[in-house]
Amino acid sequence: MKKAALLAAAAILYAGMAWMVAPGFYDGFTPPQPYNFVCPPPQAGANLPPTSGHLVIKVIGGVSDANSAFTDDGQVVIGFLPGSFKVNPGQTTITVDITPVSPCPKPAGLHFSTNAYHVTADATLVKPATLVMVYSNLTTDPSFVYRAQSGDGPWENIGAASQARLWTIDTKTSTLGYFAAGFPSNAVSPNGAGSGQQVLPFIVAALIAAVLLAGIPLTIIRRRQAAGGGDADEKEDEEP
Amino acid sequence: MSRETPLTAVARPALRAGVLLVYIVGVEWARALVGTAPYAAIPALVLGGLALGVTAWGWSQSSLGLSSSRLGLRLLGGVAIAAVLLLPAAVRAGAAPMLPVSVAAAAVVVSVGEEIAFRGALFAALEQVGGAPLAAIGTTVAWTAAHALSHPPEFLGAVAAAGLLLGLWRAVCRDLVAPIVGHVIADLAL
Repeated sequence: MKKAALLAAAAILYAGMAWMVAPGFYDGFTPPQPYNFVCPPPQAGANLPPTSGHLVIKVIGGVSDANSAFTDDGQVVIGFLPGSFKVNPGQTTITVDITPVSPCPKPAGLHFSTNAYHVTADATLVKPATLVMVYSNLTTDPSFVYRAQSGDGPWENIGAASQARLWTIDTKTSTLGYFAAGFPSNAVSPNGAGSGQQVLPFIVAALIAAVLLAGIPLTIIRRRQAAGGGDADEKEDEEP
Repeated sequence: MSRETPLTAVARPALRAGVLLVYIVGVEWARALVGTAPYAAIPALVLGGLALGVTAWGWSQSSLGLSSSRLGLRLLGGVAIAAVLLLPAAVRAGAAPMLPVSVAAAAVVVSVGEEIAFRGALFAALEQVGGAPLAAIGTTVAWTAAHALSHPPEFLGAVAAAGLLLGLWRAVCRDLVAPIVGHVIADLAL
Protein backbone atom coordinates (compact mmCIF):
# COMPACT_ATOMS: atom_id res chain seq x y z
CA MET A 1 0.00 0.00 0.00
CA LYS A 2 2.87 2.30 0.92
CA LYS A 3 4.58 1.42 -2.36
CA ALA A 4 1.44 2.16 -4.34
CA ALA A 5 1.09 5.51 -2.58
CA LEU A 6 4.69 6.36 -3.46
CA LEU A 7 4.12 5.57 -7.12
CA ALA A 8 0.85 7.50 -7.12
CA ALA A 9 2.61 10.51 -5.62
CA ALA A 10 5.30 10.31 -8.31
CA ALA A 11 2.62 10.08 -11.01
CA ILE A 12 0.85 13.14 -9.62
CA LEU A 13 4.14 15.05 -9.42
CA TYR A 14 4.86 14.17 -13.05
CA ALA A 15 1.38 15.22 -14.15
CA GLY A 16 1.85 18.57 -12.44
CA MET A 17 5.27 19.19 -13.93
CA ALA A 18 4.22 18.09 -17.42
CA TRP A 19 1.09 20.23 -17.19
CA MET A 20 3.27 23.33 -16.86
CA VAL A 21 4.86 22.91 -20.30
CA ALA A 22 2.99 22.78 -23.59
CA PRO A 23 1.92 20.39 -24.90
CA GLY A 24 2.52 18.51 -21.66
CA PHE A 25 5.03 15.79 -22.22
CA TYR A 26 8.28 14.60 -20.77
CA ASP A 27 10.47 13.36 -23.56
CA GLY A 28 10.05 12.46 -27.17
CA PHE A 29 11.73 14.09 -30.09
CA THR A 30 11.03 17.72 -29.73
CA PRO A 31 12.46 20.60 -31.72
CA PRO A 32 15.23 22.35 -29.81
CA GLN A 33 12.85 25.11 -28.81
CA PRO A 34 9.14 25.82 -29.07
CA TYR A 35 8.04 27.42 -32.33
CA ASN A 36 7.07 31.08 -32.19
CA PHE A 37 3.81 31.48 -34.05
CA VAL A 38 2.27 34.60 -35.55
CA CYS A 39 -1.06 32.78 -35.31
CA PRO A 40 -0.63 30.09 -32.66
CA PRO A 41 -2.79 26.95 -32.87
CA PRO A 42 -4.89 26.16 -29.79
CA GLN A 43 -2.47 23.46 -28.63
CA ALA A 44 0.53 25.82 -28.62
CA GLY A 45 0.06 27.04 -25.06
CA ALA A 46 2.28 29.98 -24.14
CA ASN A 47 3.60 31.55 -27.32
CA LEU A 48 6.25 34.14 -28.00
CA PRO A 49 6.01 36.31 -31.11
CA PRO A 50 8.42 35.35 -33.89
CA THR A 51 11.41 37.59 -34.46
CA SER A 52 12.79 39.22 -37.58
CA GLY A 53 16.29 39.03 -39.02
CA HIS A 54 18.72 41.51 -40.53
CA LEU A 55 21.96 40.93 -42.41
CA VAL A 56 24.49 43.18 -44.04
CA ILE A 57 26.50 41.42 -46.74
CA LYS A 58 29.81 42.92 -47.77
CA VAL A 59 30.59 43.60 -51.40
CA ILE A 60 34.22 42.76 -52.08
CA GLY A 61 35.70 43.62 -55.44
CA GLY A 62 32.24 44.18 -56.86
CA VAL A 63 31.05 40.73 -55.76
CA SER A 64 28.66 40.10 -52.89
CA ASP A 65 30.18 37.91 -50.19
CA ALA A 66 28.77 34.57 -49.03
CA ASN A 67 26.63 34.87 -45.92
CA SER A 68 23.41 33.69 -44.27
CA ALA A 69 20.52 35.75 -43.00
CA PHE A 70 18.43 34.35 -40.19
CA THR A 71 15.75 35.42 -37.79
CA ASP A 72 16.85 35.85 -34.19
CA ASP A 73 14.79 32.82 -33.13
CA GLY A 74 16.36 30.74 -35.92
CA GLN A 75 13.06 29.86 -37.56
CA VAL A 76 14.21 30.98 -41.01
CA VAL A 77 17.69 30.83 -42.48
CA ILE A 78 18.55 31.89 -46.01
CA GLY A 79 22.04 31.27 -47.32
CA PHE A 80 23.70 33.16 -50.15
CA LEU A 81 26.68 32.07 -52.24
CA PRO A 82 29.41 34.51 -53.34
CA GLY A 83 28.06 36.68 -56.14
CA SER A 84 24.44 35.91 -55.31
CA PHE A 85 23.36 39.50 -55.86
CA LYS A 86 23.60 41.89 -58.80
CA VAL A 87 25.67 44.68 -57.30
CA ASN A 88 24.82 48.22 -58.32
CA PRO A 89 27.74 50.53 -59.17
CA GLY A 90 29.28 51.99 -56.00
CA GLN A 91 27.36 49.63 -53.72
CA THR A 92 29.54 48.36 -50.84
CA THR A 93 26.99 46.40 -48.86
CA ILE A 94 23.74 44.55 -49.43
CA THR A 95 21.09 44.50 -46.78
CA VAL A 96 18.78 41.53 -46.30
CA ASP A 97 15.76 41.62 -44.01
CA ILE A 98 13.45 38.84 -42.89
CA THR A 99 10.11 39.83 -41.36
CA PRO A 100 7.29 37.60 -40.11
CA VAL A 101 4.07 38.41 -41.95
CA SER A 102 1.08 39.46 -39.90
CA PRO A 103 -1.83 38.81 -40.26
CA CYS A 104 -1.26 35.22 -41.35
CA PRO A 105 -1.99 34.63 -45.03
CA LYS A 106 -4.73 32.09 -45.56
CA PRO A 107 -4.65 31.28 -49.27
CA ALA A 108 -7.43 29.17 -50.71
CA GLY A 109 -6.40 25.56 -51.26
CA LEU A 110 -3.28 25.76 -49.10
CA HIS A 111 -2.56 25.23 -45.45
CA PHE A 112 0.57 26.79 -44.00
CA SER A 113 2.33 24.95 -41.19
CA THR A 114 4.80 27.76 -40.59
CA ASN A 115 4.59 31.50 -40.32
CA ALA A 116 4.89 33.39 -43.57
CA TYR A 117 8.05 35.48 -43.85
CA HIS A 118 8.88 38.37 -46.11
CA VAL A 119 12.50 38.31 -47.26
CA THR A 120 13.80 41.46 -48.93
CA ALA A 121 17.17 42.75 -50.15
CA ASP A 122 18.33 46.01 -51.65
CA ALA A 123 19.83 44.19 -54.64
CA THR A 124 18.53 41.65 -57.11
CA LEU A 125 19.18 37.98 -56.43
CA VAL A 126 20.93 36.36 -59.40
CA LYS A 127 21.97 33.01 -57.91
CA PRO A 128 19.64 30.59 -56.12
CA ALA A 129 19.66 30.95 -52.34
CA THR A 130 19.10 28.11 -49.91
CA LEU A 131 16.07 28.63 -47.70
CA VAL A 132 15.61 26.62 -44.50
CA MET A 133 12.40 26.94 -42.51
CA VAL A 134 11.82 25.41 -39.11
CA TYR A 135 8.35 24.08 -38.37
CA SER A 136 6.59 23.16 -35.19
CA ASN A 137 5.94 19.69 -33.87
CA LEU A 138 2.46 20.92 -33.00
CA THR A 139 1.36 21.37 -36.58
CA THR A 140 1.07 19.11 -39.57
CA ASP A 141 4.38 18.58 -41.30
CA PRO A 142 4.69 20.74 -44.41
CA SER A 143 5.21 19.11 -47.80
CA PHE A 144 6.52 22.10 -49.72
CA VAL A 145 7.75 25.64 -49.47
CA TYR A 146 5.58 28.24 -51.16
CA ARG A 147 6.65 31.62 -52.48
CA ALA A 148 4.71 34.73 -53.44
CA GLN A 149 5.56 38.22 -54.54
CA SER A 150 2.77 39.65 -52.41
CA GLY A 151 1.35 38.67 -49.05
CA ASP A 152 -1.97 38.13 -50.80
CA GLY A 153 -0.47 35.64 -53.25
CA PRO A 154 -0.62 33.94 -55.61
CA TRP A 155 1.54 31.32 -53.88
CA GLU A 156 3.84 29.20 -55.99
CA ASN A 157 5.12 25.78 -54.94
CA ILE A 158 8.93 25.88 -55.02
CA GLY A 159 9.41 22.33 -53.80
CA ALA A 160 11.37 20.90 -50.91
CA ALA A 161 14.64 19.03 -50.63
CA SER A 162 14.86 15.79 -48.69
CA GLN A 163 14.70 16.46 -44.97
CA ALA A 164 18.21 17.07 -43.66
CA ARG A 165 17.22 17.82 -40.09
CA LEU A 166 14.16 17.01 -38.07
CA TRP A 167 11.56 19.76 -37.97
CA THR A 168 13.04 21.68 -40.88
CA ILE A 169 12.16 21.97 -44.55
CA ASP A 170 14.51 23.46 -47.09
CA THR A 171 14.56 24.39 -50.72
CA LYS A 172 16.25 26.74 -53.15
CA THR A 173 14.78 29.96 -54.37
CA SER A 174 15.79 32.10 -57.32
CA THR A 175 13.92 35.18 -56.15
CA LEU A 176 13.14 36.74 -52.82
CA GLY A 177 9.65 37.54 -51.62
CA TYR A 178 7.15 35.94 -49.28
CA PHE A 179 7.77 32.39 -48.08
CA ALA A 180 5.80 29.86 -46.06
CA ALA A 181 5.89 26.07 -45.74
CA GLY A 182 2.71 24.06 -45.93
CA PHE A 183 0.70 21.65 -48.00
CA PRO A 184 -2.37 21.59 -50.24
CA SER A 185 -5.50 21.62 -48.09
CA ASN A 186 -6.82 18.50 -49.74
CA ALA A 187 -3.59 16.56 -49.22
CA VAL A 188 -2.59 14.18 -46.48
CA SER A 189 0.73 14.95 -44.82
CA PRO A 190 3.36 12.61 -46.29
CA ASN A 191 4.57 11.23 -42.98
CA GLY A 192 1.19 11.05 -41.38
CA ALA A 193 2.17 13.31 -38.51
CA GLY A 194 -0.75 15.63 -38.84
CA SER A 195 -3.33 12.96 -39.32
CA GLY A 196 -2.41 11.53 -35.96
CA GLN A 197 -2.57 14.71 -33.97
CA GLN A 198 -6.05 14.16 -32.65
CA VAL A 199 -5.36 10.49 -31.93
CA LEU A 200 -3.54 11.02 -28.65
CA PRO A 201 -6.63 11.28 -26.41
CA PHE A 202 -7.89 8.02 -27.90
CA ILE A 203 -4.50 6.35 -27.36
CA VAL A 204 -4.51 7.37 -23.70
CA ALA A 205 -8.13 6.29 -23.29
CA ALA A 206 -7.26 2.91 -24.81
CA LEU A 207 -4.26 2.54 -22.49
CA ILE A 208 -6.37 3.32 -19.43
CA ALA A 209 -9.07 0.93 -20.61
CA ALA A 210 -6.46 -1.78 -21.13
CA VAL A 211 -5.13 -1.29 -17.61
CA LEU A 212 -8.60 -1.49 -16.11
CA LEU A 213 -9.91 -4.33 -18.24
CA ALA A 214 -6.83 -6.52 -17.92
CA GLY A 215 -5.63 -5.34 -14.54
CA ILE A 216 -8.71 -6.09 -12.49
CA PRO A 217 -9.06 -9.76 -13.55
CA LEU A 218 -5.29 -10.26 -13.32
CA THR A 219 -5.27 -8.92 -9.79
CA ILE A 220 -8.25 -11.07 -8.76
CA ILE A 221 -6.64 -14.19 -10.23
CA ARG A 222 -3.36 -13.49 -8.49
CA ARG A 223 -5.06 -12.87 -5.15
CA ARG A 224 -6.93 -16.17 -5.46
CA GLN A 225 -3.70 -17.97 -6.36
CA ALA A 226 -1.90 -16.32 -3.45
CA ALA A 227 -4.72 -17.26 -1.05
CA GLY A 228 -4.72 -20.85 -2.26
CA GLY A 229 -1.02 -21.54 -2.68
CA GLY A 230 0.97 -19.30 -0.35
CA ASP A 231 2.36 -15.82 -0.96
CA ALA A 232 3.95 -16.27 -4.35
CA ASP A 233 3.69 -12.50 -4.87
CA GLU A 234 6.00 -11.73 -2.00
CA LYS A 235 8.65 -14.12 -3.27
CA GLU A 236 8.43 -12.72 -6.76
CA ASP A 237 8.60 -9.17 -5.47
CA GLU A 238 11.99 -9.95 -4.10
CA GLU A 239 13.24 -11.65 -7.21
CA PRO A 240 11.22 -10.92 -10.30
CA MET B 1 43.82 -15.60 -2.12
CA SER B 2 42.65 -12.00 -1.97
CA ARG B 3 40.39 -10.67 0.73
CA GLU B 4 38.07 -7.72 0.03
CA THR B 5 38.44 -4.90 2.55
CA PRO B 6 35.43 -2.79 3.56
CA LEU B 7 36.91 0.10 1.60
CA THR B 8 37.17 -1.82 -1.64
CA ALA B 9 33.72 -3.26 -1.04
CA VAL B 10 32.33 0.28 -1.25
CA ALA B 11 34.86 1.85 -3.59
CA ARG B 12 34.56 -0.69 -6.36
CA PRO B 13 30.78 -0.37 -6.82
CA ALA B 14 31.06 3.41 -6.45
CA LEU B 15 33.75 3.51 -9.12
CA ARG B 16 31.66 1.34 -11.39
CA ALA B 17 28.61 3.54 -10.84
CA GLY B 18 30.69 6.65 -11.54
CA VAL B 19 32.11 5.26 -14.76
CA LEU B 20 28.66 4.17 -15.88
CA LEU B 21 27.19 7.57 -15.08
CA VAL B 22 29.86 9.43 -17.05
CA TYR B 23 29.54 7.02 -19.98
CA ILE B 24 25.74 7.20 -20.11
CA VAL B 25 25.51 10.97 -19.81
CA GLY B 26 28.35 11.31 -22.32
CA VAL B 27 26.54 9.11 -24.84
CA GLU B 28 23.34 11.09 -24.38
CA TRP B 29 25.08 14.43 -24.83
CA ALA B 30 27.00 13.18 -27.85
CA ARG B 31 23.75 11.85 -29.32
CA ALA B 32 22.09 15.23 -28.83
CA LEU B 33 24.98 17.15 -30.38
CA VAL B 34 25.60 14.82 -33.32
CA GLY B 35 21.88 14.63 -34.03
CA THR B 36 21.77 18.31 -34.97
CA ALA B 37 24.05 17.73 -37.97
CA PRO B 38 22.40 17.30 -41.38
CA TYR B 39 21.06 13.78 -41.97
CA ALA B 40 22.48 12.66 -38.60
CA ALA B 41 19.31 12.64 -36.47
CA ILE B 42 18.23 9.06 -37.11
CA PRO B 43 21.74 7.51 -37.15
CA ALA B 44 22.48 9.37 -33.91
CA LEU B 45 19.35 7.96 -32.30
CA VAL B 46 20.08 4.40 -33.38
CA LEU B 47 23.79 4.45 -32.54
CA GLY B 48 23.10 6.27 -29.27
CA GLY B 49 20.49 3.70 -28.31
CA LEU B 50 22.84 0.83 -29.10
CA ALA B 51 25.68 2.49 -27.18
CA LEU B 52 23.38 2.83 -24.17
CA GLY B 53 22.30 -0.80 -24.49
CA VAL B 54 25.93 -1.87 -24.14
CA THR B 55 25.75 -0.92 -20.46
CA ALA B 56 23.77 -4.11 -19.82
CA TRP B 57 26.96 -6.10 -20.39
CA GLY B 58 28.11 -7.84 -17.25
CA TRP B 59 24.82 -7.57 -15.37
CA SER B 60 22.51 -10.48 -14.72
CA GLN B 61 18.94 -10.23 -15.97
CA SER B 62 17.60 -10.12 -12.45
CA SER B 63 19.90 -7.30 -11.36
CA LEU B 64 18.71 -5.30 -14.37
CA GLY B 65 15.09 -5.95 -13.42
CA LEU B 66 14.41 -8.04 -16.49
CA SER B 67 12.38 -11.18 -16.08
CA SER B 68 9.57 -13.01 -17.82
CA SER B 69 7.88 -13.95 -14.56
CA ARG B 70 4.53 -12.21 -14.10
CA LEU B 71 5.01 -10.88 -17.60
CA GLY B 72 1.35 -9.94 -17.92
CA LEU B 73 1.54 -7.66 -14.93
CA ARG B 74 4.83 -6.18 -16.07
CA LEU B 75 3.40 -5.38 -19.51
CA LEU B 76 0.28 -3.99 -17.91
CA GLY B 77 2.46 -1.84 -15.69
CA GLY B 78 4.13 -0.50 -18.81
CA VAL B 79 0.77 0.37 -20.30
CA ALA B 80 -0.16 2.15 -17.07
CA ILE B 81 3.11 4.11 -17.07
CA ALA B 82 2.53 5.11 -20.70
CA ALA B 83 -0.97 6.32 -19.81
CA VAL B 84 0.44 8.47 -17.01
CA LEU B 85 3.20 9.88 -19.22
CA LEU B 86 0.81 10.75 -22.04
CA LEU B 87 -2.16 11.91 -19.99
CA PRO B 88 -1.11 15.56 -19.50
CA ALA B 89 -0.52 16.01 -23.24
CA ALA B 90 -3.83 14.35 -24.08
CA VAL B 91 -5.82 16.41 -21.59
CA ARG B 92 -3.98 19.70 -21.75
CA ALA B 93 -3.88 20.17 -25.48
CA GLY B 94 -6.36 17.72 -26.92
CA ALA B 95 -3.80 17.35 -29.66
CA ALA B 96 -0.10 16.71 -29.55
CA PRO B 97 2.79 16.07 -31.87
CA MET B 98 3.02 12.60 -33.32
CA LEU B 99 6.40 11.13 -34.14
CA PRO B 100 7.11 10.96 -37.87
CA VAL B 101 7.09 7.37 -39.08
CA SER B 102 10.66 7.71 -40.32
CA VAL B 103 11.86 8.25 -36.76
CA ALA B 104 9.67 5.67 -35.05
CA ALA B 105 12.06 2.71 -35.32
CA ALA B 106 14.96 4.82 -34.10
CA ALA B 107 12.78 6.01 -31.22
CA VAL B 108 12.20 2.42 -30.11
CA VAL B 109 15.94 1.70 -30.13
CA VAL B 110 16.81 4.77 -28.10
CA SER B 111 13.93 4.30 -25.64
CA VAL B 112 14.96 0.72 -24.88
CA GLY B 113 18.63 1.77 -24.70
CA GLU B 114 17.84 4.56 -22.25
CA GLU B 115 15.85 2.31 -19.95
CA ILE B 116 18.54 -0.37 -19.95
CA ALA B 117 21.19 2.25 -19.21
CA PHE B 118 19.41 4.40 -16.61
CA ARG B 119 16.88 2.18 -14.83
CA GLY B 120 18.83 -1.00 -15.62
CA ALA B 121 22.60 -0.80 -15.31
CA LEU B 122 23.02 2.57 -13.57
CA PHE B 123 20.23 1.76 -11.12
CA ALA B 124 21.83 -1.60 -10.31
CA ALA B 125 25.25 0.00 -9.84
CA LEU B 126 23.94 2.77 -7.59
CA GLU B 127 21.84 0.30 -5.63
CA GLN B 128 25.00 -1.62 -4.76
CA VAL B 129 26.50 1.61 -3.46
CA GLY B 130 23.65 3.02 -1.40
CA GLY B 131 20.50 0.99 -1.83
CA ALA B 132 17.32 1.59 -3.80
CA PRO B 133 16.65 5.15 -2.58
CA LEU B 134 20.07 6.32 -3.79
CA ALA B 135 19.54 4.45 -7.04
CA ALA B 136 16.14 6.06 -7.67
CA ILE B 137 17.41 9.55 -6.90
CA GLY B 138 20.75 9.08 -8.65
CA THR B 139 19.21 7.80 -11.86
CA THR B 140 16.75 10.70 -11.79
CA VAL B 141 19.56 13.25 -11.51
CA ALA B 142 21.59 11.53 -14.23
CA TRP B 143 18.52 11.24 -16.48
CA THR B 144 17.76 14.93 -16.10
CA ALA B 145 21.37 15.94 -16.74
CA ALA B 146 21.49 13.68 -19.79
CA HIS B 147 18.52 15.54 -21.32
CA ALA B 148 19.91 19.00 -20.62
CA LEU B 149 21.25 19.39 -24.15
CA SER B 150 18.32 17.91 -26.01
CA HIS B 151 15.48 19.64 -24.18
CA PRO B 152 14.72 23.31 -23.49
CA PRO B 153 15.26 24.22 -19.82
CA GLU B 154 11.55 24.62 -19.13
CA PHE B 155 11.00 20.93 -19.96
CA LEU B 156 13.58 19.63 -17.51
CA GLY B 157 11.17 19.66 -14.56
CA ALA B 158 8.88 17.27 -16.41
CA VAL B 159 11.89 15.23 -17.51
CA ALA B 160 13.04 14.90 -13.90
CA ALA B 161 9.57 13.98 -12.68
CA ALA B 162 9.28 11.30 -15.36
CA GLY B 163 12.69 9.96 -14.40
CA LEU B 164 11.62 9.81 -10.76
CA LEU B 165 8.42 7.96 -11.66
CA LEU B 166 10.30 5.41 -13.76
CA GLY B 167 13.04 5.05 -11.15
CA LEU B 168 10.54 4.54 -8.34
CA TRP B 169 8.74 1.89 -10.34
CA ARG B 170 12.06 0.13 -10.82
CA ALA B 171 12.80 0.39 -7.09
CA VAL B 172 9.38 -0.56 -5.79
CA CYS B 173 8.46 -3.29 -8.26
CA ARG B 174 12.00 -4.56 -8.98
CA ASP B 175 11.01 -4.36 -12.64
CA LEU B 176 12.47 -2.85 -15.81
CA VAL B 177 9.98 -4.32 -18.29
CA ALA B 178 7.25 -1.81 -17.45
CA PRO B 179 9.53 1.26 -17.73
CA ILE B 180 10.72 0.00 -21.12
CA VAL B 181 7.19 -0.58 -22.37
CA GLY B 182 5.92 2.72 -20.99
CA HIS B 183 8.86 4.69 -22.37
CA VAL B 184 8.57 3.15 -25.84
CA ILE B 185 4.83 3.80 -26.09
CA ALA B 186 5.20 7.37 -24.85
CA ASP B 187 8.05 8.18 -27.22
CA LEU B 188 6.19 6.69 -30.17
CA ALA B 189 3.12 8.73 -29.37
CA LEU B 190 5.02 11.96 -28.80
